[in-house]
Amino acid sequence: MAATEAHDDHGAGQSARAVFRGITHDVTSIALTPIGKWWYPAFGVALLLLGLLVVAITHLFQTGIGIWGNNNVQGWAWDITNFVFWVGIAHAGTLISAVLYLFRQDWRTSINRSAEAMTIFAVACAGIFPIIHTGRPWFAWWMIPHPNDMGMWPQFRSPLMWDVFAISTYATTSILFWYMGMVPDLATLRDKSKDKVRQVVFGLLSLGWRGSARQWHRYERAYLILAALATPLVLSVHSVVSFDFATSQNTGWHTTIFPPYFVAGAIFSGFAMVMTIMIPARELLKLRHIITDAHVEAMCKVTLATGMMVGAGYSIELFTAWYSGNIYEWFTFRNRILGPYAWAYFIMVTCNVLVPQFFWFKKVRTNPWAVVGLCILINVGMWFERFVIIVSSLARQALPGQWAYFSPTRWDAMTLLGSFGLFFTLFLLFIRFGPVVAMAEVKSVSPAAHAGKDDH
Amino acid sequence: MATETQTPADEPLPPPPLDGVDDHGTFDQPPHEELHGLLAEFDTPGALIAAARKVKNAGFTEFDCYSPFPVHGIDAAMGIKPTRLPLAVFAGGVVGLAGGLFMQWWMNAHNWPWNVGGKPTWSIPASIPIAYETTILVAVLTTFFGMWAANKLPQVWHPFFRIERFATVTDDALFLGIEAGDKRFELQQTKQLLVAAGATHIEECYVDTRPEQTQVPRQVWAVLTVVTIVAIIPFALAFKARASKSSQPHWHVFSDMDYQPKAKSDQAFDEFSDGRANRGEILGTIARGQLKADTALYQGLREGAWITDLPADIVPTMAVLNRGQERYNIYCSPCHGYDGGGHGIVPERVSTYAVWEARNLVASNSIAITMANGQLYNTISNGYNTMMGYAAQIPVRDRWAILLYVRALQRAQNAIRDELPANTQVR
Amino acid sequence: MSSKTIHPDEKYKADKLGKQFTKAGLIAGVPLLVLSIVLGSLKGDHFKHFFFAYLTAWTFVFSICVGSLFFIMIGHLARARWGIVLRRQAEFIVGAFPWVFALGLGFIVPVALGNQELYFWSVKQLHDPNHPLWHHMHGKFGWLDPVFFTIRYVIYFAVYIGLSRWFTKHSVQQDTDADPAHSEKMRVWSGGAIVLYSLTTIFAAMDIIMSLAPMWFSTIFSVNFFSGAMLATYCTLALLHMAIQRSGRLKHSVTVEHYHDLGKYTFGWNFFWAYTAFSQFMLQWYSNIPEETVFYNYRMFSQWEYLTIAVVLGQWLFPYVSLLTRWTKRVLPLLAFFSVWQLVFHYLDLYWNIMPNQTWTVIGAWNRGPLQGDPELYKIGFQAMDVTLLVALVALLLAGIGRAMRGNLIPVNDPKLGAALSFENY
Repeated sequence: MAATEAHDDHGAGQSARAVFRGITHDVTSIALTPIGKWWYPAFGVALLLLGLLVVAITHLFQTGIGIWGNNNVQGWAWDITNFVFWVGIAHAGTLISAVLYLFRQDWRTSINRSAEAMTIFAVACAGIFPIIHTGRPWFAWWMIPHPNDMGMWPQFRSPLMWDVFAISTYATTSILFWYMGMVPDLATLRDKSKDKVRQVVFGLLSLGWRGSARQWHRYERAYLILAALATPLVLSVHSVVSFDFATSQNTGWHTTIFPPYFVAGAIFSGFAMVMTIMIPARELLKLRHIITDAHVEAMCKVTLATGMMVGAGYSIELFTAWYSGNIYEWFTFRNRILGPYAWAYFIMVTCNVLVPQFFWFKKVRTNPWAVVGLCILINVGMWFERFVIIVSSLARQALPGQWAYFSPTRWDAMTLLGSFGLFFTLFLLFIRFGPVVAMAEVKSVSPAAHAGKDDH
Repeated sequence: MATETQTPADEPLPPPPLDGVDDHGTFDQPPHEELHGLLAEFDTPGALIAAARKVKNAGFTEFDCYSPFPVHGIDAAMGIKPTRLPLAVFAGGVVGLAGGLFMQWWMNAHNWPWNVGGKPTWSIPASIPIAYETTILVAVLTTFFGMWAANKLPQVWHPFFRIERFATVTDDALFLGIEAGDKRFELQQTKQLLVAAGATHIEECYVDTRPEQTQVPRQVWAVLTVVTIVAIIPFALAFKARASKSSQPHWHVFSDMDYQPKAKSDQAFDEFSDGRANRGEILGTIARGQLKADTALYQGLREGAWITDLPADIVPTMAVLNRGQERYNIYCSPCHGYDGGGHGIVPERVSTYAVWEARNLVASNSIAITMANGQLYNTISNGYNTMMGYAAQIPVRDRWAILLYVRALQRAQNAIRDELPANTQVR
Repeated sequence: MSSKTIHPDEKYKADKLGKQFTKAGLIAGVPLLVLSIVLGSLKGDHFKHFFFAYLTAWTFVFSICVGSLFFIMIGHLARARWGIVLRRQAEFIVGAFPWVFALGLGFIVPVALGNQELYFWSVKQLHDPNHPLWHHMHGKFGWLDPVFFTIRYVIYFAVYIGLSRWFTKHSVQQDTDADPAHSEKMRVWSGGAIVLYSLTTIFAAMDIIMSLAPMWFSTIFSVNFFSGAMLATYCTLALLHMAIQRSGRLKHSVTVEHYHDLGKYTFGWNFFWAYTAFSQFMLQWYSNIPEETVFYNYRMFSQWEYLTIAVVLGQWLFPYVSLLTRWTKRVLPLLAFFSVWQLVFHYLDLYWNIMPNQTWTVIGAWNRGPLQGDPELYKIGFQAMDVTLLVALVALLLAGIGRAMRGNLIPVNDPKLGAALSFENY
């Protein structure tokens, strides 16, 4: 079955409407019938980790950045690594939603809803870190320009300010795009709900959607426009994040390839995370015939492609560090490979360059649990890539008197683990109560959507 | 939603026929029910498109198709004109771009020009990332809100929701609805048209025209009004506060380190017996740079006696003398005059109503002539009689430069012919 | 997915078309090339300006071939349907790679034989330890050595020609044996082929263009070159198909839908080019490190400033805004206009990249501003031979394409041809 189909019609000869009903039933039953027992322990664990996050941040606000392992030269360590990690993961959702839509890849319809949800939750996790990593986070509201009696405005020429605008625009756009896509499905849930509470909630959220063709027309146009706007947006967001590093003069940070290289890396880690979540989810939610093996294969290929781009980025950087004749730049790269963080570099290269090579083999791509394992490794590798860029470069800057080694504290670890707690809490809630698959879109790309049409 | 009020059509529906059209026929409707339109159901998207084309070709305009997903090809069949939303989005993008650039220029280069490392306050390349984001943000907001506005949503109720089967439109059903308000609408003929177009089920849709059903209940208006008034109160209070004066201090929402548990240098501090926060210099220590071991340089003294020569660090060069002249002219000439004779502008001014003189530094019988260098230096630093000390204004080395210049003035005013250089013209 | 078959009246055989292209190309190209050589020698600078102008024009035609090869491979990899009907033309374009190789020898052979006019690193004085730039450069002499450089050039073209031949061979064979296994094979190997192609292009761009300014470097440079090449390719494909349709061929197979998509991709790559160009500029401007800013300093604060602004407005802004709407992509004369416009500015972008490097060989010019030193060095110095060389090499590329243009103009037995023929945009 080609990956262009979004739904595996088991029976040839099913009427078009039966196909639609099947899709509706499979997806709405998740939200409208009691969830499987697995959900409760999973949610419990997620809540626990979320609690860790709350404790870690509270202690941080009360005591200060000193509770982390950051030191004088490594002013950025796990905090910004986590930030870039989460923003990167967010990008796959937008890519699946928006970019694959522009490329008319119909297979996206089975995963785009969850992927967009993943985007929003990942952006929420990411947004925490720039705020808490400042020494006085209660000043964070000053980054939003507002009239005040000191006539003080933000310094817009700083990449950190660009981050503020880029991430807020990205969060806003993702939420609006996600919600807009959900409205027809929320209407479906409204109409299928049996209890009054759900009917009212879904009814209000679905804005009274009734599937009018005239409304669909404007809706489709808006969807296309949002997809066309989200594409340059997603490109810009991670580029702006890369500017945090590339606009500096630090060796290992200042290099012009960072923008596309970061974007490729973001998509790489994001797709790996999508697969890590989707493959177990489709088993537990019994959606294997909607999120099919062909979709997983397609995602593996995108992961492989972006992984190769990341690998190309590593090679270009390494070569140019030598070619530039800049002894400090060359030292920084030798230091990455041979210095105190060589172990981190080794993990990074293994997980980001070697591991994706397994995806050349169909046998691997079609074994879902192998895919999950490899994707987890890829995410580990991508976390380490940001770690290597930030911490190993700072550990050996131009002044030998400044050289230092960073060691994380348990508060660093609690904050990172806790961020996963936030992510999974939100995601599990979404699975429980929301439309996990974009039903209307799956229906519209199924062959049944063309039933009864002459010619065409 | 779908089962709000009783409609006459709520008798048990006959089961949909296997083929052919189900039509309720006409019946006696209560006077408060008005026909809104007809709703016809179809089996496949293709059938819906074909039906839509037929209905459009028959001249109907007040009709719409309903489906759980966008049916491709139906726009053309219904004659739907392309929406103008893209134009609005483009305008939104332009607004965002202009706004983003203007915001950055106005805030960073105009209202408070911000010197960052000496770079130009208006740097276009550095302003592009944010302008790019604001362009997209405003375009996105325009798209989102514009689309819902154009679609007239939220509109949580529609007459067709009264028909129970209509609930399946978000599941699997495909409908075509024609409104009774259309010019070409005629109940029986329109039904036949729909039958001919392939409808599997047709239903009449009625709306309840009674005022209590069509109008927003009084209670809702009341609640909305009260809520709006209550919501305005905080803003009103805020505006009043901004426009008025108060002797009370501001409320501190974010204390933002306004209250810090530390003592500043000249604060009172009850914890110490002397009540001062400043603990003074520590006995037996000298602050860095305050040693001043060279008493000749700093005080003009050597072993308690005024020095008659110069401190080792002071070398009389032309540069030093020029400096001394410049400093003398600034600090000393107002009283002592440019020539050192004591007729500066201050004594000239005072002499209009009182007797007061500044010391003549250069007269041959002036004590300034015979005074040792060290003592003269001390006078400059600490003052004498009505002259205040200038140690606070004039650094040490400048004082010695001034001293050298004064000596030059003295020598000039008391020159001996034989001591003049050979090439000096003598009159 | 609906499917069509080739229209019964369709003329899809190349017949004499290739020969016509070759003839026209040679008639225009050879005399202009000779004229350019004459103009070059008349300038009296040991052909320095000639070499730079030749390199610029050569890079222009090279970029079109490079982009076309990627177009073919990515089409296979992504199982793209719309482009199938256009693919054969791209295969003809990459069939001209041997011609591009031969034309490139026009500057490679002099470099290999010790010519010092083109590449600054080939200047013999640079190898003297007393030269002020020696300490900066000596680490790279192993890499930037005329012989190794030439060997690498040969390797790059071995890869390009090898890949082009392989993909074209399978595509053409499928015309006769109608075996779907060809498509399968091309799809399976396209991934690895793209990896090989990427490595080759990265280093080719760095070698041939970036090393003109050997003290300068930018890791995104090759990506920027690649995006410009893709931009040029889509414009070229649009214009080439319009020309073919003018000859009465392919009138039914290539529809406005295909042109619309070509326009969309032109738009997309325009944006991506602007993105990479801006990234490079902004980062080097912002960090303000002299060994990097020297590149932009020179192009912003001398007469080159005008060309810089022209490239920003003409290569990016004007086509970008114009190609936003559907109509510029579906009204063919408009699309033709913008394709030509974009190609002209692609050339100007390469000109802006390559030509200012002539002053490196003047000692010290690279680290002085335009207010110091010889003002002559800070003029654009446009010459007639720049244009004659461009036209000559484009004509010769056309001749090369014509040589490759044989058999069918569309892959008649491609399994997905039907989908391509019936392709419709939203």
